[in-house]
Amino acid sequence: MKTKRVDAVAAYLFLSPFLILLGIFFVYATGRAVYFSFTDYDLFRPPNWVGLRNYVALFNDALFLSALRNSILFAVIVTVIQTFLALVMASVLNQKVRGIGFFRAAFYMPSITSSVVITLIFLWMFQRRGLINYLNETLQRSLPILLAFVLVVVAVQVAQVAWERRRSLPATWTDPALLVVSLLVAGGATWLLVTTGVLSPRDVPPVDFIWLQTRDTIPSGAPFWLAVPIPLAAIMIQNVFTTIPTFMLMYLAALQDVPKSHYEAASIDGANATQQFFRITIPSVAPVTFLVLTLSMIGTLQMFDQVAIFGDAAPLRSVVTLAYFVYNRMFPGAQTPEVGFAAAGAMFLAVLTLAVVLLQRRLVRSEGY
Amino acid sequence: MRRILIGTLVLALFGGALAQQIRIMGYGGQDPAILVRLLDDVIGAELAAEGITLSYEPLEGDFNAALFNALSAGTAADIFYIPVETAPGIIATGKVLALDGLIDTDAFIDTLVEAYTVDGSVYGIAKDFNTLAIFYNLDLFEEAGVEVPNETDTWETFADKLRGVAALDDDVYGACFPAGFDRFGAFAFATGWQTFDDGGATNLLDPAFVEAVTWYTDLVREGVAIQPSDIGQGWTGGCFATDNVAVAIEGAWMLGFLRNEAPNLQYGSTFMPIGPSGERGNFLYTVAYGINTDSPNRDAAVRVLEALTSPAAQQWVLEEGLAIPSRTELADNPFFLEETAEAQANATVFRGAADGNVLGFQFGNIGTDWMTPVNDALVAIMTGQASVDDALTEAQRDLNALLDRAR
Repeated sequence: MKTKRVDAVAAYLFLSPFLILLGIFFVYATGRAVYFSFTDYDLFRPPNWVGLRNYVALFNDALFLSALRNSILFAVIVTVIQTFLALVMASVLNQKVRGIGFFRAAFYMPSITSSVVITLIFLWMFQRRGLINYLNETLQRSLPILLAFVLVVVAVQVAQVAWERRRSLPATWTDPALLVVSLLVAGGATWLLVTTGVLSPRDVPPVDFIWLQTRDTIPSGAPFWLAVPIPLAAIMIQNVFTTIPTFMLMYLAALQDVPKSHYEAASIDGANATQQFFRITIPSVAPVTFLVLTLSMIGTLQMFDQVAIFGDAAPLRSVVTLAYFVYNRMFPGAQTPEVGFAAAGAMFLAVLTLAVVLLQRRLVRSEGY
Repeated sequence: MRRILIGTLVLALFGGALAQQIRIMGYGGQDPAILVRLLDDVIGAELAAEGITLSYEPLEGDFNAALFNALSAGTAADIFYIPVETAPGIIATGKVLALDGLIDTDAFIDTLVEAYTVDGSVYGIAKDFNTLAIFYNLDLFEEAGVEVPNETDTWETFADKLRGVAALDDDVYGACFPAGFDRFGAFAFATGWQTFDDGGATNLLDPAFVEAVTWYTDLVREGVAIQPSDIGQGWTGGCFATDNVAVAIEGAWMLGFLRNEAPNLQYGSTFMPIGPSGERGNFLYTVAYGINTDSPNRDAAVRVLEALTSPAAQQWVLEEGLAIPSRTELADNPFFLEETAEAQANATVFRGAADGNVLGFQFGNIGTDWMTPVNDALVAIMTGQASVDDALTEAQRDLNALLDRAR
């Protein structure tokens, strides 16, 4: 009995550094924030209890409603895209190919690069005369050449496969060896066509798509709750780019545990690569999918830094998220901070995040994992 | 020997008891280095003799957020910067000491003192100030065979000169016009329009304001002027340094930048063009020193404030090309009469403060949030996404909501 108590004391002693920190910076801070959300506190005058007034005011605030819409759309769209792409990339990296280590390292780079630096680089790329519009324009200009190239590849490939099959040799439509020949022939043919002047780049007007300084939405003119502001879409692209690698790594770990025999059995039964991906890979990594979905949801709902760095480059209403809204009300242009109002926004964000994760757990559970 | 020892001991004891450490909180960037040099070169020895030492604490990043935090937590310095655009909010916290009777404010430029006056009390002494001037690239104007801007230019003649230079080449522009009220506002004031009417309301649909917006944005739509971000620059100064933009509308803060980034650029400066009201418009940008009401060393802080804004300190700041002094007596400074481009630019900026409709860079108690709807409108018009009327109607609606909330 006595040793048990000593054990318990020892355990608490070992836990105490963490418990104290948690108590001060989490429990106490959260308690204060909950209290402030029911007051009109402004950092300088003593707080007065105002009941639910801050929460009511939230839903009458146009900026808050934009932030809510942006956060939800951002979380849903980014989570879906990055979960799927992370799995695809992990499957690609799970091959036994020479030099795969290089690709693993290269694909992981965006995740270990500073988010601030990446955001600044993307800000440049999204300028009206930035890289993205330039690439778009180049693509449109060289469309005839690309089209010719693709047509020649298809034609040569079809001819080759037909030739092989006539000789009663087994050849699939995507036979790699034949494809290499087709690509080389097409490359040569296109080069010849361009140098002889038969083909030339099209004349297209310069692409002037405004990514940042706009209030337009995709789809344009959609109802408020379904309209993705274009600058927010730009942040989505960037966020997907930076967070995929982390989730890819989790998937890669999970994929290594999927028995090879499943794939072998499937290929004997005649399942192709796509069928194997959807019928074997996806079900096998379901527990990791739940983890990835949860982390991604929490991360995207609380997205702040990229909006902060975008700053004046895009209209606030088009990029504001709930987390940035809280900061914006806490430190407005030059007024006294609206701590009570900001705290109410923070509480709403916390409850929303919790609700989404619980809901998701229930949904994924009900599917039997 | 013993006497010397005792003397030293007494001095050390008293010195220790009398030495007062005064903390100053201000901007990051180049300000810490400037203050150190100001101390070393000008006021340090004098203050040290009185037993006062100074330490400078730069607040990097969002100055207002950091200052509000420090003021609220009781960790703010004895003396801190008060930017003019956020002054009403900072003074409203009740943490800024009223300087009435502590500092003689008569020696400073009236408009600067007014910007820091609330209910008849003065809360800050402007350390220096700036206004906008036209900087022009001499080589580009010469190449285009266009006469450089001068002080008789009106909006029309000024725009024609820009058109003349922009015609040189596709990559050459007359000016960089940012979609921001912090520069555009000077043109709005040239119509006689004011940020707030007597009732404290803003009217963006005033024909005068619409006229200014139309003139400013039309030059961009026409391709004569361009937004800085569209040529990969962050601000007008960056545009100007590329040597492809004929004029920049900035303050004296650009001089140091040009010295470092474009040392071979030949430039001149002149006043803002005359607007439809027959007057120029201009902004008055300034930062003041304020004293913390909770400062334990209030007398020493007042003494430091006096030293920081003394004629000797201001002369030094001026001669270093850092800013324009806030004391009226420095108006006739021989430095302004020198023949260099920098001295002339400084003189232009100095005189700009008293020429035409000059308003402080200040937006009542909603601070810089005031500019957000206006800037959004400017962007929408410049990029062709909305007409002037539609954009300003929407901006007016957003601004009214903002002003109502602050009441």
